[in-house]
Amino acid sequence: MSLETNPKISLSPKRNQAIIRWVALVAFNFLLFHSVLAQTRTVSGRITDGQTGLAISGVSVVVKDGAQGVSAGQNGEYSIPGVADNAVLVFSILGYSTQEISLNGRSVLNVSLQSSSNEIEETVVVGYGRQKKRNLTGSIVSVNSEEIEKTALQDPISILQGRAAGVQITSNSGAPGSEMTIRVRGSSSLNSGNNPLFVVDGIPIESGSMSNLNGTEGFGLNPLAAINPGDIESIEILKDAASTAIYGSRAANGVVMITTKRGAEGKAIVDVNLTTGVSELTRRLSVLNATQYRQAIIDSYNNMDNPEEPFWTILDSLSATNNGDVDWQSELMRVAPQYKVDLSIRGGSKTTQYAWSTSYLDQDGIILNSNFKRLTSRLNTDFNITDKLKIGQSISYTNALNNRINAAGAGNLSVIRELLVRPPIMSMYLPDGSLNGYSLGRRNPVGIAKYATNLNKSNRIIGSQYLEYQIIPDLIFRSNLNFDFTSMKEDEFMPTILDYREGYNTGAVRSSTNMNWGSESFLRYTKTVNQDHNFGALLGFSLQSWRYDRTGLNGMFFPSDNIRTLNAAGTISNKDANGVDINVASEHAMLSYFGRASYDYQGKYLGEINLRSDGSSRFGRQKRFGYFPSASVGWRFSQEDFFNANVVNDGKIRFSVGKTGNEAIGDYTSQGEFVVGANYLDFSGAAPTVMPNEGLTWETTTQYNAGLDLAFFANRITFTTDLYIKNTDDLLYDVPIPTTTGFGSFMQNIGSIQNRGAEFLLTTKNISREKFSWATNLNISLNRNKVLSLPENLLTNGYIQNGAYHILQEGLPIGVFYGWRFDGVYARDEDNVNAITHGALGPLFKGGDPIWHDLNGDDFITPDDRQIIGMAEPKFFGGFGNDFTYKNFALNVFFQFSYGNDIYSAINQERNSIVRYNNLSADALNRWREQGDVTNYPKPVRDDPKQTDSRVSSRWVEDGSYIKLKNVNLRYTFANSLVNRIGLRKVDAFVTGTNLITWTKYTGFDPDVNSFSGLRVGVDQGSYPQSRMFIFGLNIGL
Amino acid sequence: MKNTNIKFLLFTLIVLVSSCADSFLDKEPISGFSAKGFYKNASDAQAGVYGIYNSMQSAFRQNFALWGEGRADAVSTNQAGDPLALTQNDLTPVMQSARWDNLYTVISRANYAIKYIPQVFDSEEGTLRNQLIGQARALRAIAYFYAVRVWGDVPLIVEPFESVQQDIFSTRTNQEAVLDMIEEDLLYASTYCADNYTGARNRVILTKGGADAFLTQVYMWRKKYQDAIDAAERVIESPYYSLVSMQDWNKIFTDGMSNESIFEVGYNEIQTNALRVIYALGSDSYYFPSLAFRSTFEDGDLRRTRIYDVTQTAPRKIWKFFGEGFNDESPDPSSNNIVLVRLADIILLKAEAHANLNEPDLALPLLNQIRRRAGLDNLDLSGSTALYGDLASAVLHERAVELCYEGHRWFDLVRTGKVVEVMGPINEISDTRNFVWPIHEDIINRNPNIDQNEFYK
Repeated sequence: MSLETNPKISLSPKRNQAIIRWVALVAFNFLLFHSVLAQTRTVSGRITDGQTGLAISGVSVVVKDGAQGVSAGQNGEYSIPGVADNAVLVFSILGYSTQEISLNGRSVLNVSLQSSSNEIEETVVVGYGRQKKRNLTGSIVSVNSEEIEKTALQDPISILQGRAAGVQITSNSGAPGSEMTIRVRGSSSLNSGNNPLFVVDGIPIESGSMSNLNGTEGFGLNPLAAINPGDIESIEILKDAASTAIYGSRAANGVVMITTKRGAEGKAIVDVNLTTGVSELTRRLSVLNATQYRQAIIDSYNNMDNPEEPFWTILDSLSATNNGDVDWQSELMRVAPQYKVDLSIRGGSKTTQYAWSTSYLDQDGIILNSNFKRLTSRLNTDFNITDKLKIGQSISYTNALNNRINAAGAGNLSVIRELLVRPPIMSMYLPDGSLNGYSLGRRNPVGIAKYATNLNKSNRIIGSQYLEYQIIPDLIFRSNLNFDFTSMKEDEFMPTILDYREGYNTGAVRSSTNMNWGSESFLRYTKTVNQDHNFGALLGFSLQSWRYDRTGLNGMFFPSDNIRTLNAAGTISNKDANGVDINVASEHAMLSYFGRASYDYQGKYLGEINLRSDGSSRFGRQKRFGYFPSASVGWRFSQEDFFNANVVNDGKIRFSVGKTGNEAIGDYTSQGEFVVGANYLDFSGAAPTVMPNEGLTWETTTQYNAGLDLAFFANRITFTTDLYIKNTDDLLYDVPIPTTTGFGSFMQNIGSIQNRGAEFLLTTKNISREKFSWATNLNISLNRNKVLSLPENLLTNGYIQNGAYHILQEGLPIGVFYGWRFDGVYARDEDNVNAITHGALGPLFKGGDPIWHDLNGDDFITPDDRQIIGMAEPKFFGGFGNDFTYKNFALNVFFQFSYGNDIYSAINQERNSIVRYNNLSADALNRWREQGDVTNYPKPVRDDPKQTDSRVSSRWVEDGSYIKLKNVNLRYTFANSLVNRIGLRKVDAFVTGTNLITWTKYTGFDPDVNSFSGLRVGVDQGSYPQSRMFIFGLNIGL
Repeated sequence: MKNTNIKFLLFTLIVLVSSCADSFLDKEPISGFSAKGFYKNASDAQAGVYGIYNSMQSAFRQNFALWGEGRADAVSTNQAGDPLALTQNDLTPVMQSARWDNLYTVISRANYAIKYIPQVFDSEEGTLRNQLIGQARALRAIAYFYAVRVWGDVPLIVEPFESVQQDIFSTRTNQEAVLDMIEEDLLYASTYCADNYTGARNRVILTKGGADAFLTQVYMWRKKYQDAIDAAERVIESPYYSLVSMQDWNKIFTDGMSNESIFEVGYNEIQTNALRVIYALGSDSYYFPSLAFRSTFEDGDLRRTRIYDVTQTAPRKIWKFFGEGFNDESPDPSSNNIVLVRLADIILLKAEAHANLNEPDLALPLLNQIRRRAGLDNLDLSGSTALYGDLASAVLHERAVELCYEGHRWFDLVRTGKVVEVMGPINEISDTRNFVWPIHEDIINRNPNIDQNEFYK
């Protein structure tokens, strides 16, 4: 595949013209190719820069396989006499890629050269190197910097959402800088180790949330938010085993390779990017007002089997704490501003190249007082010491400050849940003007947002140094030394005004460091024999080591809410709420050998094999080393003589197979653990917590991939498809064992999972005219996940309960919801004709009670009546992008979609439960009130013995399909003539809208939601909502 | 030359890598110990035993009430789940209180301690060594004592599990054999534990008195009345235990570490329990006083206003553990110690043993000692017969009031054979096989060798 087939190409007008010209040229050549006459003539022309259109002087023009050759003059013009009609001219100069052009009888040949940083022959980043995209035999999807620029998003992960086939990304939270769930070709592990490996400039980096405080779901931080998207040159996602096996034991979930921009020889290029914008809530949810709420509460008492007097304070509209009628969403939500400044300087000489950048982001969240600030700074340098020796480094520093809101925390600490279910009658202020901080067991969410502290400060340095030495022309030795260091400090404080106890306030501090270092050395060999046989080989080893340290304290009884540092705490403890010691350190190391051999014949027949061997300290001494081989072949059938290239101008099929691993378990699990800190009051205690298993080893994934790449009509249409089967065996799973042992579970290698799927990518250039162009790209991914086997003794009634809402069962996918089926509401008592009761001895279901499906027909509603009520896995998902250019305008319109997935809306369940005097959704106005009411909303019952509200049921399963107008970017590039006159290189201005419209049936805030990381997919527990964002930006180049 | 270069490079690399490979991958735990690396010296032994108490905190944080009160007549509930199922005698194998996991954690940690403590002490005579083993054995006995009372036959495990090679699928042991082991453990503790602790360890660490008090309970359970009297005698005569005055009665629970307390599970602001959620959350708590309980008081009983919210006609709060007038809707956990055994309990058990041995003269003074503190008149034999049918019943009634909500009532009913008489009219319980709990289905699913209790099959 060559440049113009790449869907991710920028369609800035200048560039686009160049492409069109180039396409025209190629097509022209094609047409004339067969009518060549063997004559000679003088050929002349002008050579220009493909990007700027300016003349290039000094280009060497030679006749291939001939003696003639000239150098182009000052204005880029050249002239060579006596050239054969069918000759091929070769144009070359440093900094530009060499072009060979058949003359085909022409005497005037104008040429535009592409600077070599934008090489026509597009390459992609692969493990330990780069590869020509057209020669790939594996499955890799790539997103480049121009595509990234269109999104104006602030972290690399959200950029990938919908843009990469086979990669499913869901938001755990809409808060700035928060964690996202990434699945490359489905979930292949039961042990939560489902995140891909992230490699930045060749360095595997830490990608799990490193937050220690309130590590509750939906609250993790996205460690990739430390990387400024503006620095990114490209992101490649390696999906099949042929591409990933070189990363062996950590590659089963795919590998995401992020490459940052480097300097190139030439004048310094300065870029300044300024963006500013606002975000706002996409959708408000309707709730009851004070009057409606009071009536619902009264109803709930009257609906009891033995009706009781309502709890008096709720109804007492004179009570100082309960005389409000507050719209909590309005109180907590806001239109939030953000701005960002990027500055980068890139350039270099023949011996030294540099890329320097710095960026500052200040982004407010749409919930009061949430905010994310990030300062990043990067320096990438390369030095050519001698012809053979090259050294360089990449170093980036990020300082981030995340003022978080406890959005998904437990109980009354969750601001999001509270803003939906907090009774509207609770007044904001007391008569004396002070905040109504706490009443009836509830903390005021506005108070939490305003007065509680939940601050995360992090400093991260990712750095690497390399040395590259050319031993002989075809053999290069390279050695990297790299490190990834994160230091994090977190502060938490819950003031006494939000507590019912006088002087009761709590604070916490956590400080942690993650230090990962590694070293890699390898030899890389490339050789072309007789122009047709291309050999490549790689051989290397690496060491990597991780260390994690955490210290922290919890305190309470601070004399004042104003002093929040732990020195003021009256009581200090080093234990968390679960009695587990906060202070801990842990280590892990890995030692690996890897190799690769590749061969291709004329780019027509391609083959590659990889082998990696990893040893990990996490596994039993005898089981430390694992071997991860892969092999792949490709055939470019379009290059065969028999193939008619008129319609299909390029075609290739690919096959690959290989093994990868997953080592995502605790550092010391195989050794067993005897923890200290099992304290009793103030006495230090110790206790055995993990039984050792010396036989523990990797999860192994075997993946088969078949792919087809086609390009039609001189690359105007390109189509890529991949089919895969991914079998994961020896799953690491904490198997429950009889608790009489004193242990609840025991980590073992058990069971297997399969993912099968297909990915399609179609790009078309619908219109390519000088002034107007329209290109589209569409990607669709399908993944079918299935649990193939689970050990017998794990299964309760044939399945494993996976959290509150899911089960794991053989033959079913991960992510099926399991509960009671809701069949409506009994209109009258008599409608319960079978006299169905709650349990064998429980009360009878009456008018206004839900009709639960009595699966086994025993007339009792029991846990045995639970069934599969939904499926979190989409039938397909993907993205659809359109790029338009008109003169100097460029418009990108990007849709993202997901079809066929269900959402278990735990938040809707909560906001329709009368428990704890919750406020209800406005749906409750349709509730059953008297005999004969036909409705789908049951009667609210106080202390309901029939568990109407608390059951996991299909009542809360909703269709989560959606199409989202994810991104619209309109860009205007000022004409060079204008810009150059004021001494600038380029100026463009853009507006971007994100998350503009969502078409969905889902009734929560947003269907792009996934409150839990890990296997409990598709649950909306009241995560921080997604926001709609409008951003204006200006890019200025000097 | 170039070739030599390459060879040299490769050779260096290989040597470098292979020489450091193994040690590079050896990573020992930093902040803890590997499973087999812990017990090395006396302080480890001490820490190992505190680790057992740590698991006692989880085992009793709410189950003391579910097991000891949930099925008896003093509580009513509106809470679906365990509380409702227990009061309605609708026990199922999915209820939380049918789990024995936490008790076996206590047992497992004790087994580790009992096995490894002897290895870290040189002499077999050391006081600390024997005290620690005594505490470990006593705690193991307490866990087993609850287990046999709740489920009947239970697996008797006295060795730690340290490897998958051991048979982890244990079978149930006859409860008499378990009770024999319990007595043996408690007798050891009664001999070797410390007499008393002061300061922070006061009442929250097992002592001789604690072992004797539990022995009294065990003997009463097994109807070994004379043994019970002897054990109770040792407690009552101990200088470390005395009844507090009525005005300090609530402080036994609110403040803890009273002179009346013999052994309590210690909690604090961080290591918390569910007392408030169980008894005092107002409309949402697990339990509120039943009508039967509210009607059982004799006139003038000073304890009534100290036990529950008498200001309400339908009281929803139990004040006993929080003090009179306690009014708070917070679902936060509690930091109160949970008193498992106290002197009034032992005095009344001794009285009951004497009554059963037909020694009313020895029983009555003990009974009246408790009655007088509560502002009630002395009872004589005829008075107690007139009021409660017989002397043993009078003692049982006294226990029902004095020890209410402390987790004794259900076991008292089972022990004295009054379950059907008392609870039958309330929830129709009639079958003695129904007196034990079902074994949680998760336990059975994990272990094919565990059979469900007969009544629940």
